[in-house]
Amino acid sequence: MNMHATTHEELAAEIGEQFDTDAMAQESTLLNPRFYTTDFDELDRIDVTPVRAEWDKLIGQMKSDPNKGHFKKNEDWDTVDWDNMDPKLKREFIDFLVSSCTAEFSGCVLYKEMKRRGNNPDICELFNYMARDEARHAGFINDALREAGVAVNLGFLTKAKKYTYFRPKFIYYATYLSEKIGYARYITIYRHLEQHPEKRFHPIFKWFKEWCNDEFSHGEAFALLMRTDPKLTESFVNKLWIRFFLTAVFSTMYVRDHARPAFHEALGVDIDWYDQEVFRKTGEIAKQVFPMELDIDHPRWMPNLKRMERAFRKMEAAEKQGGIGGKLAKLGAMSSAALAFAAIYTIPVKKSTPPASVRLEPAY
Amino acid sequence: MSLFSRKVEQVPCTVEVSHRFEALHAHVRFNDGSVVHPGDEVLVQGPPVLAAWGEVISEDRTATITRATALERLWTRLTGDFEFMELCEFSFSEEMSV
Repeated sequence: MNMHATTHEELAAEIGEQFDTDAMAQESTLLNPRFYTTDFDELDRIDVTPVRAEWDKLIGQMKSDPNKGHFKKNEDWDTVDWDNMDPKLKREFIDFLVSSCTAEFSGCVLYKEMKRRGNNPDICELFNYMARDEARHAGFINDALREAGVAVNLGFLTKAKKYTYFRPKFIYYATYLSEKIGYARYITIYRHLEQHPEKRFHPIFKWFKEWCNDEFSHGEAFALLMRTDPKLTESFVNKLWIRFFLTAVFSTMYVRDHARPAFHEALGVDIDWYDQEVFRKTGEIAKQVFPMELDIDHPRWMPNLKRMERAFRKMEAAEKQGGIGGKLAKLGAMSSAALAFAAIYTIPVKKSTPPASVRLEPAY
Repeated sequence: MSLFSRKVEQVPCTVEVSHRFEALHAHVRFNDGSVVHPGDEVLVQGPPVLAAWGEVISEDRTATITRATALERLWTRLTGDFEFMELCEFSFSEEMSV
């Protein structure tokens, strides 16, 4: 889940000194989650009977809470030399921590709301465990932020919040993909750092394996939910939506990763390689429930991702420029991004048939 | 629910904020069972609930729910889906430079 962290300037103006309860904090960042509603009656109507055996197994696993003891700092948590970190890397890394923390946090808010509003015991139990995991991850990242002198502010509750709406299926597609792509991102970095431990500039990367196993099992739960209603993945319109989600999520990830060069350079990761690797893993996993895979080796794929990234850079420059010239330049950049998106979206997909049994175990 | 005018309700609520290593979360529960619908706006009254590090705060407050008009509710239902990218997670913020 994506959220907007308010900029530091806005924050300083807004809360000033009143929040800073931590003497170490040099700056604070306001968590600013979005609030959603959905069709809770539709969620209540979900019947997991067709996948009951696999469902009970997954819920049993979540209930046993295998990662309960994992998110603790131990002797592996070595000291981080924040003061001597390259300032650009520090900015990008803190952006990573804040974005990840807010994402976990807002997942927690959404899952808790679904648990609270639902009347279906299966669904409520699932969302309860997922909210637990997300709050735990958020707490863990928050601690890393505190070490960096960044205090997280939860004062958003007393600000007006507008509730927007998503149909349940949009929540399934988007959160399923988020969880699986999160798994693929974390495990790829984890495996890379196993080979290159000297590039591990912060201890949090050592926790990525167990962390991403939580992401993986959350994804499994959404895969099972989608399996309870074949229309969700088989109807003509829904297939177009799935294709759209895959394209939008992959291309956004490409653009955002390329906007953080110092982070990836410090890890010794080539961003093009990394992103393709993550797309490959995510695409392979997603075949468990989606009847298709994007063709990421198609000749139109990479050139148009690059085109889209350039367009986003131009958009940013145009916004800074301002005035009529800036507006025109932004319009031009936006249409070039839209064309690039269309060029990717229309690449023929590789059709596949999801296996009879949906469940997967983390294998990378 | 009116077509054009917004109804404002004052509702008792419990706010829970956990600012601990084990869990970072913040939730609002309406004590009278009120539910929010698409397009409604919720404001918890009073000063910000600020949990210090290691603290869990649970407080009874009043929340103001500004109900969306029928038109707003319809509009939110129809257009909410377009903001689906909000639900996705990419490790980084959308800023092109930090």
